[in-house]
Amino acid sequence: MATDRQSFDEIDWGQIDEESEREISPNFIIVAIGTALMGAVWAFDYFFVTGTWDAAIGMDFGNQYTPTFEVIGWGYDVTQLDWLFAFSLVLFGAYMILPLYQNPRMTKYYWRDMKRNRPAMASLGWLLFIFVIGVIGPAIIQAPTVDLMTKYQPPMFLEINNVYPINCVGEVAGGDCHGSLEHPLGTTGDGKDIFRIIVYGMQISMKIGFIATLFVVTIGSIVGTVAAYAGGLVDEVLMRWVDIQQSFPTFILYLLILYIYGASLFLFIVLFSLFSWEGTARYVRSNALAKTEEEYIKAVQLSGASTYRVIRSHIMPNSASSIVTDITLLIPSFILFEAQFAFLGLGDSTIPSWGVLIAQGRSDLAFAPWITLIPGLFLFFTILAFNFLGDALLDALNPEADAEAEQ
Amino acid sequence: MFPVTEDPILSVRNLKKHYPITEGILSRQVGAAKAVDGISFDIAEGETLGLVGESGCGKSTAASSIIRLEEATDGEVIFNGGGRGGRTRNEDGTHPNDVTKFDDGELKAFRRDAQMIFQDPSSSLDPRMTVGSSVAELLLVHGMTDKERRREIVEDLLERVGLEADYYDRYPHEFSGGQKQRIALARALVLNPEFIVADEPVSALDVSIRAEILSLLNDIQEEFGLSMLFISHDMSVVREVCDRVAVMYLGEIVEIGDTDEVFRNPQHPYTEALLSAIPRPDPSAQRENIELKGTVPSPTNPPSGCRFHTRCHMVIQSDEYDLEQERWRAVLTFRDRVRSGEIDPESVREALAFDADDLSNVDNQTVKDELRTEFDLAEELSDPEAESVLQDALDALAEGRIEDANDRLSAFTTPCEEEEPQETDHGNGHLSACLRNKPETEHGAPLADD
Ligand code: SF4
Repeated sequence: MATDRQSFDEIDWGQIDEESEREISPNFIIVAIGTALMGAVWAFDYFFVTGTWDAAIGMDFGNQYTPTFEVIGWGYDVTQLDWLFAFSLVLFGAYMILPLYQNPRMTKYYWRDMKRNRPAMASLGWLLFIFVIGVIGPAIIQAPTVDLMTKYQPPMFLEINNVYPINCVGEVAGGDCHGSLEHPLGTTGDGKDIFRIIVYGMQISMKIGFIATLFVVTIGSIVGTVAAYAGGLVDEVLMRWVDIQQSFPTFILYLLILYIYGASLFLFIVLFSLFSWEGTARYVRSNALAKTEEEYIKAVQLSGASTYRVIRSHIMPNSASSIVTDITLLIPSFILFEAQFAFLGLGDSTIPSWGVLIAQGRSDLAFAPWITLIPGLFLFFTILAFNFLGDALLDALNPEADAEAEQ
Repeated sequence: MFPVTEDPILSVRNLKKHYPITEGILSRQVGAAKAVDGISFDIAEGETLGLVGESGCGKSTAASSIIRLEEATDGEVIFNGGGRGGRTRNEDGTHPNDVTKFDDGELKAFRRDAQMIFQDPSSSLDPRMTVGSSVAELLLVHGMTDKERRREIVEDLLERVGLEADYYDRYPHEFSGGQKQRIALARALVLNPEFIVADEPVSALDVSIRAEILSLLNDIQEEFGLSMLFISHDMSVVREVCDRVAVMYLGEIVEIGDTDEVFRNPQHPYTEALLSAIPRPDPSAQRENIELKGTVPSPTNPPSGCRFHTRCHMVIQSDEYDLEQERWRAVLTFRDRVRSGEIDPESVREALAFDADDLSNVDNQTVKDELRTEFDLAEELSDPEAESVLQDALDALAEGRIEDANDRLSAFTTPCEEEEPQETDHGNGHLSACLRNKPETEHGAPLADD
């Protein structure tokens, strides 16, 4: 069988340099470019636009404050949270979405499994909707503002006794104020447009989800992998630390900081995600330990590959699916936390989040239930969607189990 | 068969792998599991050596220590392939080709010359990587940065192992066990090694495809002049593939020799027992079916003397007694079980009683009879002296005096538990380690007459 193709037994290994075993992946390039871009904008923002420390820590202490994109006539100000959000989006795109495109066969295989699961598909649609509107919406829709003249406008197709709104925007019929397209979801007791709050709330929920994930996954995987690979004393110390942190009363720390510095979403997200990676670390560690016993990991070690390659190209991709599943169950708990704190008045009441809106509508339940109900429904469906999706992923992302079942 | 002047491609010398057993926070070592305890053998160029034994005998540990997937505790693995031949020992007695002492650079070069095939094809391929990339990864790791070239080589190789080039982009779950094992073989071959360790490469496969994979292995070995260490628990597979065979029991090699020779004329009782388990076309042939009772003992605390004495059907009798071999085996097994405290006369009595609350109606005689049946001790031993010892011991047991029974049974001893058998040379590289093989002893004739 004479072919002119290269054959493995004709390679002259003496001709091949022993070096560049690491290739720079396109994924990495994307992250690098994205980070560089962000760095540039950040530097611009920091040195030329606001230049105050207030902005740098993302909290407005009442100083003069200029939106980042003022120069191009766009009144969008980039906060600390936005930077984190953008960074997590870049990572998400490069390491979650791009691989789906790079490995079409694998994607198709999962997709086939996922498609059969209707609740999961509906959930995915819902979350995509929230995500897209949440990311783009606030950039084009103006932030909700207080306007007492238009308070208590009912949503479309609903009406309210005309004594509540000062100035009914829609038509008034039979002493009732009817909803109008102007405020499709109505307004709150201080006249903020609920539709806008919902859109802004989507972004806040997505920020909570993505940024918390960024922290939890990064810290959790690093600690877990280091513990598994270093072993011995390092492992012992790290895992004891995880134990301690797991029993740490994060809530009390949050209250303490809240009373000293005041509430902010940034504080909430950072604090809670910095104290939530223990489970992931534990999981990654045990997973890495279990995987090193797998024959394919042994085979890779036998190929002469470095530990870095073993971890990066084999252990991590194989742990990723379980981490993803883990995270889809962690994110809703964060979003729910935020809502609960807002409801209890322990959050930043100035932000347009769903939780804040729910809390605001509390006293108006009797005559304007939509103020609480609408964000409540969004919250409910979002959390439900995450849970459904998490379950579906758990089933779909397990080719090993499938392979065993096939035999 | 092979030119004597040439160095063997692989020489294993006194290789040991002990796993420390630690206790407490400070990890104080309290013992060691001697998974591999001093094995030695050579593999000539182009030769296949089979390493056989039951599971737990240490053969897989031996394989991973040889290929340095695990660090050996002691001993040498001298690899003369890959242009390393002809080197002599350093002045300090170490060998420049000793795999166990290779530094990172040498080890990486060694990876190109020696590869391994694993037992379970469904777990030996990364489920999240296309099989092509799994195979090509080795080329990348060893510095071949040209992606197209890697792909070309792997596609060609996939065809050579009986698959198709466009399987490159598929994932492991899309293949059957046999196909996966072909891919695993391609991965082992892609660096063009000279030596391959095959760890039970067909035992996880369907019986119907075993033959295919074995013959592929044979063809490839011939085509590329590979040397192979073939690990298996299955004697019939070994007979098909191996030129020579080494039988391993509890971390030691008990017999080694040419496959034909060992199969025709096994010198060690363990080999004999393993061989008798092979289904034979002609069942009326003279070799009786020897049943290996129990499992391989723990390597943490291996039996003294000959490690096989707790299970050996040929275990030597002490001079004082004269029993049928089968009874003698039964007596020793009984003794060992009493010694280890596994026999509880009370539970025997409970099992015999109809009514668990009233044990009094089970008399001592019934218990003793039951023990005799259970341990195959016959109603009465043919040797009166042995019989009286056994009687005493059974009496003591039935009355619950386990210590006394133990004392009494200590009268039964065998040279096999006292003396470590040395290797006996049967010529032509056929070695075995059994006390019965020593011509000068009075322990009776060797197993089989030549
Ligand atoms: S030395 Fe004794 S126990 Fe060991 S194999 Fe030979 S006969 Fe059996």
